[in-house]
Amino acid sequence: MALDTAPKGWRSFARYSMLTIVALFILFPVYTTVIAALKPGNKVLDNPLLPNAFTLDVLKNAWTEGRLGRYLMNTTVVALIITSVQLMTSIASAYAFSFLKFPLKRLVFGIFLSTLLVPLEVTLVINRRTIDSLGWLNSFQGLTVPFIATAFGTFLLRQVFMQIPPDLREAAQMDGLGHWGFMKEVAIPLVRPTLGALGLFSFLASWNQYLWPSLITTEDDMNTVQTGLRHLASSDLDKPNLIMAGTIIAAVPILIVLVVFQKQLVRGLTAGAVKG
Amino acid sequence: MKTPNKSRFLLAGLTASALLFASCGGGGSSSIVDSGNTEAPATDGSSAPTAAPTTVATPLASLPPCDTTALDSVTETIDITFWHGMNGDLEDALTALTAEYNASQTKVNVSLENQGGYEQTLDKYLQSSQDSRPEMVQAPEYAVQVMGDTDSNVPVGACIESAAYDTSDFLPKALNQYFTEGVQWSMPFNVSDPVLYYNKKVFEAAGLDPNKPPTNMAEVRTMSQAIVDSGAAAFGLSLDTGADSGGGWFLEQWFAKLGELYSDNDNGRLAPSTKVNFDSQVGIDLLTDLQSLVNDGLAYNVGDNASGQDALLKLADPESAAAMTISTSAALGTVLTTVQGGLIPGITTDDIGVGPMPAPGDADAPGAIVGGASLWIVNHDDPAKAAAVWDFISFLITAESQSTWAAATGYVPVRSSALEVGAIAEKYTTDPRFKVAYDQLLQAADSPASLGAILGPQREIRTLSARAIATVLQGGDVAAALTDAATQANALLSAYIAANQ
Repeated sequence: MALDTAPKGWRSFARYSMLTIVALFILFPVYTTVIAALKPGNKVLDNPLLPNAFTLDVLKNAWTEGRLGRYLMNTTVVALIITSVQLMTSIASAYAFSFLKFPLKRLVFGIFLSTLLVPLEVTLVINRRTIDSLGWLNSFQGLTVPFIATAFGTFLLRQVFMQIPPDLREAAQMDGLGHWGFMKEVAIPLVRPTLGALGLFSFLASWNQYLWPSLITTEDDMNTVQTGLRHLASSDLDKPNLIMAGTIIAAVPILIVLVVFQKQLVRGLTAGAVKG
Repeated sequence: MKTPNKSRFLLAGLTASALLFASCGGGGSSSIVDSGNTEAPATDGSSAPTAAPTTVATPLASLPPCDTTALDSVTETIDITFWHGMNGDLEDALTALTAEYNASQTKVNVSLENQGGYEQTLDKYLQSSQDSRPEMVQAPEYAVQVMGDTDSNVPVGACIESAAYDTSDFLPKALNQYFTEGVQWSMPFNVSDPVLYYNKKVFEAAGLDPNKPPTNMAEVRTMSQAIVDSGAAAFGLSLDTGADSGGGWFLEQWFAKLGELYSDNDNGRLAPSTKVNFDSQVGIDLLTDLQSLVNDGLAYNVGDNASGQDALLKLADPESAAAMTISTSAALGTVLTTVQGGLIPGITTDDIGVGPMPAPGDADAPGAIVGGASLWIVNHDDPAKAAAVWDFISFLITAESQSTWAAATGYVPVRSSALEVGAIAEKYTTDPRFKVAYDQLLQAADSPASLGAILGPQREIRTLSARAIATVLQGGDVAAALTDAATQANALLSAYIAANQ
């Protein structure tokens, strides 16, 4: 994407029209959601596409009726725990798979990777029973522990660790750095962009979790924002815009995270992709 | 689909989002508990057979006991958790009743935990270990058999016996719904049945009498024709194929109305059902009729009723509305509140008519099967807890509570004495629309056929019939679709029997 090929004249016009059309398609549901959330209930079906009335009451109601403050806090705690622990376990395991020598390394790594092929749904029932028998229903342990290790993260970090030249490791050894020191002083700083991307992915994925939290929470106090929204959704028929308002409130924090870390995300991914 | 748990789970996943609100109908039993474990014929004196056990007879004595006096000696407040599936206005009404109970005494404190809906409540209950289960749970009517088979409950029959509780003014149908194998398993709380909702304004515009809704599908057809021809509305009838409405529950209702058995072995009352009958000529005629309504442009199919309200909302469609639909009576309160709130332009609460669910063909068959849900006591080997739950249940079913509850929601009171007190006494006189569902239950005959089926995998079978009906309403071959669904349903039935032997 060098700048000198920037499209000019009608080509640029065509390109931007195309992009605009696609953007409109993508933004349309967002637009209707926002419009509906900012209207009083009895105006929603009148003119679904026009902002013909304005009120912030619906957002306020969604916040209080939907207990979104509590749910957002739960989700934030869960997402932060999962993200930080996932980063630690991924770094440790990826380091082992790339810098340590141990028997059956390739086989173990293969088994590790094969868990990527097992979708969440397959292990759902047995995981739920395990959590139940541990007495972890309705707890933060129950919401986070099943996700603290990820084969994807291990794989991603192993790939970038492998790009670190062996000379570097040897040089570090000469300087008296052990594995721990090398990981801390050399390896981690080198893969920081990828770590950022991985962290962001983990955060987004755990923020958006629905199935697992919905299965292991039975107390309202432990709902995450996604499962909490369902209560708004199945709430009154005469308040169709309440759920729209709730969705917006739930989306705002993650939107902020995305905007702030967007650069990190893209850089991290491309860095991982083209290196070497 | 080898183990019922797994199949339940998978199917639940497939259909999980379908049901937010619907209230459901199905099985029941043909006897009423009288004084404990004796099996008395239904109290209305009709020729109901005694309820034969559906599997092995489970006399009350072999089940966990209930000592309702255990609460007398209690000094500390007992905390009771109650899992329920009531949402929206229904949840508000339940919360109000519970607050009233908690404030009325100091021995028991009930916390409500909304699990999102019937299906989620049932799934979580079935998947949980006994320790993780709450003290009390609300389970839908289609779950009688699976709930009973979990061996996790204190049957309310035991508490009725212990407290010498008088059930003489209860609707026999409501109690019988949750009575099988000689045991009153659970207590009916929210009882509903399907009724016809229609737009009186459209009826007037089409030159029809707005106070004479159709009583059977033949009349639905002629009235729909008049409505469509006059241009009063785009469609006569709005249909859906949700498992807990048009795709399953209504099918069971229609069979019951005709006095036809939905499944063999007397609807699963003599012995576990081994096959369903919806692929019979009765089913074929019924669905051919519905299909032709859609084909002739008289009815509109809204699909699987994902919101639980799709069929009803079609009546408010600004572009191409339908004039009538069939939906649970439990929606009436919500419908009226919604219209009152001015959400639906051009329709006022007075425009909404309610009539009995139309019978198949040109039959004259009022009556309905009991739908909704019941209250179960979960066994935690603690007599005081069971007694506490019973105390709360008996509060929820007093004439006063039932009156308040029914008036707020549109559910049918479980006992006739509720009609004489409180809000519902007034409501049934001032707004007869609320009484349609109640009258329907009184008019129903008391044969095994008209009590509806009790099936282990009832929920899954409804999903299968719903899929078949969806195919049919989209123009598919009626006999083929029904045969296919019946074959799969029969396989589920034998798998369930094998797994619960």
